[in-house]
This record gives sequence, C-alpha cells and structure tokens, in this order.
Amino acid sequence: MRDYAHPYPPRISDFTKTFWHALDDGRFITTRGARSGGLTFPPKPFSPHEWGEPIEWTELSGQGKLYSWTTMYAVPAAFQREAPYRVCVVDLDEGIRVVTRLLSDGAAPLDSPIELVVIRYTDCTSFAARLLSGAET
Amino acid sequence: MSKTVAIIGYAALPCGKWQTPPEAEIATLEHEVLAGLVIEATADAGIEKRDISSLCLTLPREYTRQKYFGTFMASYLKLACTGSVSEALGNGMTGGLAFENACNDILLGRSKVALAMGINFESQAKAADLMMSSMRAVGDVDFQAPFGISPIAWGAMDAMRYMHETGATREQIASVAVKNRAHAALNPLAQFRTPLTLAEVLNKPPIVSPLGLFEVPPRSDGAVCLVLAEEDVARGLGKPYVRIRSRAFYHEGVHQVSDEPNDMIALNALEIAGSSAYEQAGIGPGDIDFGELYAAVTIMEILASEALRLIPRGQGAVWAAQGRTSLGGTIPLATSGGLLSRGHPPYITPLYSFVEAVDQLRGTAGARQVASAELGLTAAELGNYNAALVHILEGIH
Repeated sequence: MRDYAHPYPPRISDFTKTFWHALDDGRFITTRGARSGGLTFPPKPFSPHEWGEPIEWTELSGQGKLYSWTTMYAVPAAFQREAPYRVCVVDLDEGIRVVTRLLSDGAAPLDSPIELVVIRYTDCTSFAARLLSGAET
Repeated sequence: MSKTVAIIGYAALPCGKWQTPPEAEIATLEHEVLAGLVIEATADAGIEKRDISSLCLTLPREYTRQKYFGTFMASYLKLACTGSVSEALGNGMTGGLAFENACNDILLGRSKVALAMGINFESQAKAADLMMSSMRAVGDVDFQAPFGISPIAWGAMDAMRYMHETGATREQIASVAVKNRAHAALNPLAQFRTPLTLAEVLNKPPIVSPLGLFEVPPRSDGAVCLVLAEEDVARGLGKPYVRIRSRAFYHEGVHQVSDEPNDMIALNALEIAGSSAYEQAGIGPGDIDFGELYAAVTIMEILASEALRLIPRGQGAVWAAQGRTSLGGTIPLATSGGLLSRGHPPYITPLYSFVEAVDQLRGTAGARQVASAELGLTAAELGNYNAALVHILEGIH
C-alpha cells in the first residue's frame, strides 16, 4: 500500500483494462494464442506467435524465480521520492519473463523463488516481486 | 560489378561539454560546429564540395533548437544532393544507421561520395530529466517504465547475472573502466584522460548496483563528419583509406527484455550479426586486430566481446583484468577509450567508433596505435543488444 499517487502511472486501454482489473482483484493474467498456446506478456490483442489465431486470457500463478536485479540509486526525476529502489527480471513458472520492482531489501540470491504481489497506489494498482522466503517491506 | 564502399576522411569534435545553457549570452550553435567539421573532413579526404551528393545525418537531440536539421544543413552548406538528405534515428544505433544510409546511396549508385555525420548536444540536461525520456525508450512505456527503470539498470542486471553464472568478480568487471581510461589518456578526442586506479573505480558511489559512477556512461556532447566514397574514388586519391569489408545486422524481434525466458547475457543478436559479418568477410574472430564496441557500461564490453567470439564465453572479465584487452594485448578493445572515457554522445557514438577505426587502419593513431592493424570491427546496438549492427573494416595502404 502506498499513500501517494503512482509517479508515472500506466495508461489503460480498452483492451489492457482486463489485465489491470484482474490485478485489482489480486490475479495476474495475460493472453495466449488459442491454437498455439503461446503465452505473451504484456497481454496483446493479437497473438505475436501466430498473427491470425484467436487469443484468450489465462491466469498465471505469479510464482517464479529471480533472474536478476539491481538497486537503482540514480533514478528518473518522477521517481526521486522512492529512490533507492530495486528493479528485477523474474521468470514465472509458466515460462514468461517480466520486469518489475523487487521489494526485498536484504540478500537476494539469483534464482531464488519469488512471488508477485499487488501494490496499491492512491490512483492505480501495480505489482512487484518479493522473495518467497523474505519479508516484505 | 558490385561496388565497395570506403571511408576516405573524417573530422570530429573532442567529446566533452560543449552545449551552452539556454540563458547563455553567447551560445554554441550545433550547425556552426557541424559545418566546420564538414569543411575539415572534406579537406582531410581530399575531395571537393561538388563531389558530395548525399547528406546522411543522425537526428539531433530534442535540445537542439533547429529542426529539420538535415535539410537545414544542406541549405547552410549550399549543397545540392542527388542521392539523399536524411536524419536517422535508432536509439544507440543511430550513428550506425546514418553510416548505413551513406553506404547504401553509394552501393545503389546514387552517390559517389556521401557524408555520414551528426551532432549530439545534451550535456546541459539534468540526468534525472534525461532518464525520464530514456526510461520511455528502453521498455514498454505502460508495463515497464512505470517501475522507474533506466537504460543502465539493464546493464547492472546483466552484470549481476554474469557474476552469478561465471564467478567473475566486481574487481575484474571494474578493470574495464581502468583499461579504457588508460586508452583515453592517449586519445586527443577523449573526454576523460586522467588515468584511474582500480581502487578509484571501486570506491565511487553506486549508481546501479553493482556498477559505480566510473562504470556508467558520462554526459557528453560531440560531433562527427565521415566522408564515404565508392572505392574507385578512394583509389584515385593516392593515400591510405579504409575499406568496408562486410556489414551485418540482426534484430531479434525483442525490445529490451524477451518475454520468453532466454539467456539475457548471451546477446544473441550480436552473436548472429557478428557471425554473418565474419562469414561475409571470409575471416574469423581471430583475424580481428581491434574492436570498437558499443558498451555504455563496463559489463557490456565483456558481454559484447564474448558474443563476437573475440574472447571465450565467461572469460571476458578475466581477460580485461589480465590486460589482454589492453593496447598490446591479445585483442585490444576500445582503444579510443570507449564510451566510458572517450565519451558517449549517444546518437553519434557509433560514428566515433568509425573514427577510431579509421585512425587505427590508416596508421594515424599515434601513441595508441595497434601495431600493424589491418582489420577492425565495430558494433552498434539497440536495447539490451536486442539488435546489432556489425562492420568489419580493412586498412588499404
């Protein structure tokens, strides 16, 4: 929970609102090709795997592994109040790689199990990763 | 008969802080600076104004007040062109794309002589404000930028992964900055020429952990004009020139991070483009005498040199620490000082790579000359090296 507005909130389209509304409910979803089964993230209104195939929404576990992370001390102007902070690349169990914040402050060995969590700003919902074994900040 | 392109001359501004603040009583004007370089480069090449029929520019940064800068320069120089007049844009590859436009006009027979040039002034902008722009360039603006990521954060995550997988140390990676500064000390075009110790690099405050201030790019202004010509023009000039032996490009269809988990530090696009460039030139990595790679952070020089097979995978940091990528070493990298010390005016950085290659291959690199250099390699990139543009260049004496 954050008691301030998101420093650089995402825009929400008629298509992506399905993702953001699900996130509001604590579910992490994306799209996949109905024929190929190919997942993609961010969700897209078509399948990049096979351009002509229909798509469907699918729920992801939100669990995966920490591929890499860094602590950013120099940050874009809008994010000064949050600096320093950690960003990370995580590989979800379903085989999807996402970029997000890493909440854990202490040691964070690569390949550690993580889970995605919902972060609520006063004006929108976002998400972040935290170590399954670690404490949230 | 197929044509061959040569680089026959250049002029370059030393990298540094040239941009004047908006309130300055006396301003430094980009078009005046670049026009001066055009005159100088033309004289260096030994050609006349009337020989030139393409102006291939990089897009200036948004801080440059003059817009439609390319056609404005054609007017300022009073230079009519039958080939093309353009401003290219492609993130870190921008300078490479301007170079490609000049090559293509020559290869298509539209021009005998073409200028590849650009000016990048941005040093007056605050870093945090620049990052507001760059964060929109290096990821999905609605699904990645809102986490407050910056271009160098990707490099830092590459470094974390590389250390995890190879056991490379902080010190070994940081030695790239020390080595590049030593090279820059010998380069009159370099922005930072005072030698550094490893302790000085390691003791700087972290910017994106594990990388500190001296391992991330400085703020630089710069300007370059290269003169390219069909090789028969170059031959007629009766002096050394640089032949473009091969060129390869690959974009992996990924912007910054693949949504399919892959080996992020393998730099697949560079591996593929590099292999193609070697094959077209009929050579192997072992034939290359020096490399000027686009590497905005220390780790990227290591990863890029491994992807190009100039160094065995996992050995890049060790080789840097052992001096094997220094002048006089097995494969000298960034003899100019590289992005970290020569300077990094992003849109024209690849043009500075060609400048260094010309100096090395004409034998005019002075104290930083690679002994009997015959073949050099340059690489420019997009994203986290999601795309690569590789050139293999040969000195003709």
